[in-house]
Amino acid sequence: MKITFERRAALSRPVLFAAPVIALSLAMLTSLILFAALGKPAGQALYSLLLEPFVGWYNISEVLLKMGPLMLIAQGLAIGFRANVFNIGAEGQLIIGALCASALPVYFPEGSSPLMLPAMIAMGALGGAAWAGIAAGLRVRFNANEILVTLMLTLIATQVLNYLLLGPWKDPHGFNFPQSVTFPDAALLPILLTGTRVNISLLAALLVSALAYVMMRHRFSGYQLLVGGLAPRAARYAGFTEARAVWVSLLLGGLMAGLAGACEVAGPLGQLQRSVSTGYGYSAIIVAYLGGLNPLGIVVSAFLMAALFIGGDNAMVSADLPVAAVFVFQGLLLVFYLASLTFIRHRVILNWTRRA
Amino acid sequence: MSLNRRSFLKTSLAASTALALPMPAFAADVLNVALIVPSPAADVGWSHTLELGTKALEAKYGDKVKVTLLENIAEGPDADRIMNKTAADGTTFLILGSFGYMEGGLKLAKAHPEMSILHASGYKTAENFSPFGARYYQGTYLMGMAAASLTKSKKLGCVGAFAIPELITSINAFTLGAQSVDPSIEVSVVWVNSWFDPASEQQAAKALISQGVDVIFSNAQDTPSVIQTAEEAGVYAFNLNSSMKAYAPTKYLGVVGTDWAPYFLQSVEAHLAGTFAGASAWLSMADKCVFVADWNPDIPADIVAKITEMQAAIESGAFSPFTGPITNQDGAEQVAAGVTLGDDMILSMDWHVKGVTTPLPK
Repeated sequence: MKITFERRAALSRPVLFAAPVIALSLAMLTSLILFAALGKPAGQALYSLLLEPFVGWYNISEVLLKMGPLMLIAQGLAIGFRANVFNIGAEGQLIIGALCASALPVYFPEGSSPLMLPAMIAMGALGGAAWAGIAAGLRVRFNANEILVTLMLTLIATQVLNYLLLGPWKDPHGFNFPQSVTFPDAALLPILLTGTRVNISLLAALLVSALAYVMMRHRFSGYQLLVGGLAPRAARYAGFTEARAVWVSLLLGGLMAGLAGACEVAGPLGQLQRSVSTGYGYSAIIVAYLGGLNPLGIVVSAFLMAALFIGGDNAMVSADLPVAAVFVFQGLLLVFYLASLTFIRHRVILNWTRRA
Repeated sequence: MSLNRRSFLKTSLAASTALALPMPAFAADVLNVALIVPSPAADVGWSHTLELGTKALEAKYGDKVKVTLLENIAEGPDADRIMNKTAADGTTFLILGSFGYMEGGLKLAKAHPEMSILHASGYKTAENFSPFGARYYQGTYLMGMAAASLTKSKKLGCVGAFAIPELITSINAFTLGAQSVDPSIEVSVVWVNSWFDPASEQQAAKALISQGVDVIFSNAQDTPSVIQTAEEAGVYAFNLNSSMKAYAPTKYLGVVGTDWAPYFLQSVEAHLAGTFAGASAWLSMADKCVFVADWNPDIPADIVAKITEMQAAIESGAFSPFTGPITNQDGAEQVAAGVTLGDDMILSMDWHVKGVTTPLPK
C-alpha cells in the first residue's frame, strides 16, 4: 500500500480555524485519560491548564509577562525562517544579550544615571546581534551550516555565563553563590501595569511585531529577503544576494533575542543569574511556526504559548500533576495541532494497487 | 479593595466567626504544605531527602495535612509566580528547596504574614521566613578519618557542585578529619558547577582517579555518577544526603545523611500553634538531622572505635572540627590554637585548609 499526501488546492478559512479546535479536543481527551490513570483530579487539571491562565487580572498579567520575550524572539526568528535561514540558537543570543546588558549594573551597582537603562538595552540588543553575526559570517564566508553554528554557539554562551557568574561577576556579598548583585532601580524597566510584573518591554515587543508586519507586507526589502533565501540563484539574477539574506536574517534574529535577554535581566529577574532563560530561545521557534511565520499570527501564538506554560505551572500546584505529565500535555497539544494542520492542508490518498 | 457593603458584610462576618469559634475548629482544617525544588525529585539526593521530610508530616498528621511537591522549578520569575500561586491556593506552610528562591520567597513572606516559609541554604531571615541547612561538616570530618585509614596513595579527591561556603566547609572538615589520622594527606577538588550533571560528574571523578586519588567525596551531587564511577575504578567513595550504597556495593565508604523530618515536624507544630518565628536553623548531629551510616566493612576496627568516640564528642558538643590551630592553604594561621570557629565564621567560609591542593575559585 502506498500513502501519498496531496496538497489541497484551495482552503476555506473556517477549515483552517478548525485545526486548533480539533487539536485542543484531542489533546484534552487524551490527557483526561492520562490524568485519570495517574489518579489525579482530571477536571481540575484541565481547568488549571487551559482556563485558569485567563481568569482574573493577575493571571492574565503573568501571561503577558511571559509572552513578551517569546513574541520578541519569535518575530526575529520568523524573518529568517521565511528566508530559509534557520537560526536555532536564539537561546544563546538571549544569554549574550542578558550578559551585555548586565555589564553596566555589575560594574556600577550604585549607578543612578537615567542613561543606564537605555544603554543596557542597546548593549543587550547589539550583543545578541553580534553573537548571531558570528554564525552569519561563517555561513557567508565558509558556507558553515547556520543551524549547527547557532546551536553550538548557545553552548558556548552558557559557559561564558557560568564563567562570569562563578568568577568576576558574582556578587561580592553573595557567599560565592553564582549570581550577580541585584540591580539598582536605575537599571530596572518601569512597570507598565501597576500591581503586576508587566513592564514596558511588552510595548517594545508589540512595536517590533508591527514593524515586522510592515516589513513583510509592504517593503521591498522583505520581498528581497524571501527570494534571497528561497531561490538564491533567481535572487542573484535580480541583483540581490543570498549573503544579504543570511546577514539580515541572523542579525535581526540575534538583535531581538538579545533585546529579550536585556529585558529579562532588567525586568522580572533584576539580576544576572544562571537560569536567565527558561528556554525562551527554543520555545520561540515553536511560537514562530505556530504563528505561521506571520507577524500577526506570532502575536497570537506567543500569547497562547505563554498561557500554556503558565497553565502547566498552575496544574502542578493546584492539581498535583507531576511535571512530566504537564510536559506530555503540552507536547500532545503541539503534535495534534501539527497533525490536524497537515490533514487539513493535504488530502490523503491510499493507493492499493501493488507495483510490480 | 474598595469598601462596599457586600465586602464589608463579608469581612465582618468572617471576623465574627473567627472570634466566635473556638481554636480547635482551625486545627480541624487541612494544612496545605508545598515543597518547591529545582531538580527532578529522583530516588536519591537532596530533593529526595526533602521529600522524605514531608512524608513524615503526612505520616503524623494524616488527612490533616496535604503536601504538594513542585519539582524542576527554575529559579527566577517562574519560581516567584509558582510561589504566589501556592499562596493563592491556600498553602500556608512552604518549603523552598534551593538558595535561588531566596529573594522571591522573602517577598512572598512579606506579602503573606499568615504563611510560614522554610528556605534551604540561604542567609536572610524574616519574621515568618527561616533559612535552614545541615552541618554536613560534622559528618564529613568522620568520613575523612575513615578515608585516611583506607587510602594507599595518601591522595583524596572531591567532586564539588558549587564553591559555596556550605560545600567548602564540608571539604575542609573532610581534610581535617583525614589529617587527624595521617597529617600527610592531600585533597584535590574538581568543581563541576552544577547540582545535576551526570556527564561532568563522571569526567571529574575519572580525572581525580587518573591523578592517583583512591577515595572520592561526592560533594552535593544529586546523581550517583561519582559513586558509580568510583566503584567501577575500584576506589572508595561517599556522598551526602541519602545512601547510594546500591550503586557501589563493594566500595561504598558510607553516607553523611540528612533527615529533615524532626525539623519539619517541629516547624509545622510551631506554625499550627501560631508560634512560628523566623530564625536561622543550622541543624547538627545533636538535632538528629545529620547522621552517618552504611560504613564500609574494610575500615579497620581501631579507626571505627576512634570514629565512634569522635562522633560522640561532636554530638555532645565537646568537639568541633573547626578548632585551632588551623593553617590555611597559603600556609598562614587561620584559626589560633584552642580557638573554635563561631557559626558566622563557618557559614561564610571562603578559604581552604592546608592540605587541599586545589586553589579555591575566586
